[in-house]
Amino acid sequence: MGQSPAEEHTAQPSRRTFHAVASVVLGSVIGAVLSIPGVAFILSPILKSKNAGNDGSAADGFQVLGKLSDLEEGVPKVFPVLGKTKDAWVQYPEEPIGSVWMIRQGKAVTAFSAECPHLGCAVSLGPEGKTFFCPCHTSTFEFDGKPKNAVPPRGMDTLEVKLSAAEDPEIRVKFLRFRTAIPEKTPLA
Amino acid sequence: MLKQLSDWLDDRTGYKHLLHETLDEPVKGGARWRYVFGSAVTTAFMIQLVTGVLLMTAYSPSSSTAWGSVYYISYEMVGGWFIRGLHHFGAQAMVVLLFLHLLQVLIAGAYRAPREVNWWLGMVLLFITLGFSLTGYLLPWDQKGYWATKVATNIMGITPLVGAEVQKVVVGGSEYGNQTLTRFFGLHVGVLPGLLVMTLAAHIAVFRRHGVTAPKHATGSEPFWPKQVFMDALASSVVVGVVAFFAIAERGAPLDAPAEPSSSDYPARPEWYFLSLFQLLKNPAFAGENEIIGAIIVPGAIVAALMAFPLLGRVLPGKLAHFLACSLVFGLVGVAGLLTMQALDEDKNNADFQANRVKADIARQRALFLAGHPKAGVPPEGSRYVLLNDPLHTGYEILQQKCLSCHYYDGKGAMERGPDGKLAMTRQVAPDLAGFGSLAWIRGLLDNPADRKFFGSTPQCGGMQRWKKSSKLKPDELDKVADFVASFATVKDDETPQDWLAKEEVANHPGLELFKKDCGRCHMVDPEGSLGEGGEEEAPNLFGWGSNRWMDRMIRHPEAVDRYGFMDAKDQMPAFDETELADREMNVILKFLKGEYISNPPGTAQVE
Repeated sequence: MGQSPAEEHTAQPSRRTFHAVASVVLGSVIGAVLSIPGVAFILSPILKSKNAGNDGSAADGFQVLGKLSDLEEGVPKVFPVLGKTKDAWVQYPEEPIGSVWMIRQGKAVTAFSAECPHLGCAVSLGPEGKTFFCPCHTSTFEFDGKPKNAVPPRGMDTLEVKLSAAEDPEIRVKFLRFRTAIPEKTPLA
Repeated sequence: MLKQLSDWLDDRTGYKHLLHETLDEPVKGGARWRYVFGSAVTTAFMIQLVTGVLLMTAYSPSSSTAWGSVYYISYEMVGGWFIRGLHHFGAQAMVVLLFLHLLQVLIAGAYRAPREVNWWLGMVLLFITLGFSLTGYLLPWDQKGYWATKVATNIMGITPLVGAEVQKVVVGGSEYGNQTLTRFFGLHVGVLPGLLVMTLAAHIAVFRRHGVTAPKHATGSEPFWPKQVFMDALASSVVVGVVAFFAIAERGAPLDAPAEPSSSDYPARPEWYFLSLFQLLKNPAFAGENEIIGAIIVPGAIVAALMAFPLLGRVLPGKLAHFLACSLVFGLVGVAGLLTMQALDEDKNNADFQANRVKADIARQRALFLAGHPKAGVPPEGSRYVLLNDPLHTGYEILQQKCLSCHYYDGKGAMERGPDGKLAMTRQVAPDLAGFGSLAWIRGLLDNPADRKFFGSTPQCGGMQRWKKSSKLKPDELDKVADFVASFATVKDDETPQDWLAKEEVANHPGLELFKKDCGRCHMVDPEGSLGEGGEEEAPNLFGWGSNRWMDRMIRHPEAVDRYGFMDAKDQMPAFDETELADREMNVILKFLKGEYISNPPGTAQVE
């Protein structure tokens, strides 16, 4: 603090120091009472382990998206994924929450999340219908999911598929979301 | 190094001079505890600013989302209850401290020349603060805020000449809803903070110009830093401590049930510091046309008098003016205190108010419980549907309103006011609906149809009693028949009697033959008569008894041939069409009767 002439007639220097130190301490305490809970409040999404998300599918996380006969050999088709979502305080009933591309090779089915691994836009088909193509930053993928250009950090995210034993098997898919913009396929918690 | 940096910064900004100006301001006559009130109010305002901005990051101002977002803040977010508690009690602290500040200034005579303008600026700050209370009270969109705001804006509406227009602009139309909330939110977080900061800056600047109003005997001066700063800091810490104490002791701020405009018995009350004005309006002297006196003229006159204090000294001798000003304020404090006590006392001794408050608390607990329940939550339609869709809350309420004037539920009818004005239970003239459609109900009926739970209160329905006299079925046979009849409740909406009878578990049911032989004599189930021909006595069709389709038809068309069409119209249950009982209401009633709802945790108070 700058010295001021008025100080000359204050009490002893020790009291002055006490007042100065105590003021700073009290001010800090007030600051802490407000800022610590405030920071925790803002960090709620990180501090709270419980994560709202979809839980519309069966207990094992798989849901029926269609039948094998819905797919033509080698022709990709997009299917909506249903789920119950909790958006902060709102509990939504079961409704579409995402899309899955499926492609058939004989009796086998591959499912890809329609979320682009680059920055999360919705992947659709390329102009000729021969590739998967993301309209945001031109990520392009082969029908087997491999990247065709250097834009995406990894190939399209495959999802687990189970086929039932029936003659025309039901296709059951476990829908998940993954972190974008990294080379590894990491599920979002 | 640090010195060089600070010198450079000072050279470019001149901050040292500013600090010197701020901290070394001489305090005439030395630091004193009595000067802490201004700083204490400012601290309270700082609490409001910080917690308010935090709350703003999580609050959602619309009539369908406000309550849910406040619920989420209070019960789901980390520390949200504490932040909201600080904001809630900080608001009250601000009102209290402003008032103490006003008293101190008044007693010190600091409203007089040359500080007139600062007194007026202080008055403006007082109004802005009350504006904050008024607008903030509504934001959770709960019952408390909704009804209190309705009253406050209706008072606005009785202002002469412009009242109706002012009210319409403030409310955003003639109905209270989304526009009301967005307007109040805009005022609360934008307009009022802006006004307050500007006025506060002016208030402090003018204060600095004239300095403190030191006592006459005081001499000399001492700088603001550090002694006065210390006193202010200690007072501010006490303020923060008290506010935090209340926030913790009360576990945050209260959140009532979501606003329900159709409530008929919500006991609305304003915040405690408005109770005296509220009580004033109940005075018969201000009833009817005189309402405007109590609602606007009296408070307006008080404000005008306060505003005029600095000018009193111009027309009266100084001492007399000061004496009058102080007497007026202390007189008002006394009257306000008395009115507040009176308001609290009247509520305490008002049984109806207390009963309604208990009811409101049950609704509040139910809403909070459901909002946090993993199987419920706040539905997308909006927060009020937490309760509107709840069979236990709304189903029972509608049952009481529309069914229990004739039926009973669990031995109780509806409470209605008789011609003498006293509350009394309605007389039972129809069966008790508790468990209707269940195995227990039908088994009880087969045991003793004459019980008041069944047809004991409806002499026109004597068929079952006549059957009981002639029937030779033994208890174990009655068990089987009852189980068979109870299984009707599982009949689906599109199932025909043939479809149903073709099912293995129906065809092999041990009660099937007994039903045909005994019940089928009167109750016809299908036109082919495969479950008995009926006709010995007239009786309703039992196919689907206890299922939604059976109940729906019973309620919508009791006069139908397959229900009680065989009776005289005066003996039948009245029909309830969609205008008298909406589909949504039917749905929650049926779910309530079938027990299809989320039960309260044990120990919760129940609706009586």
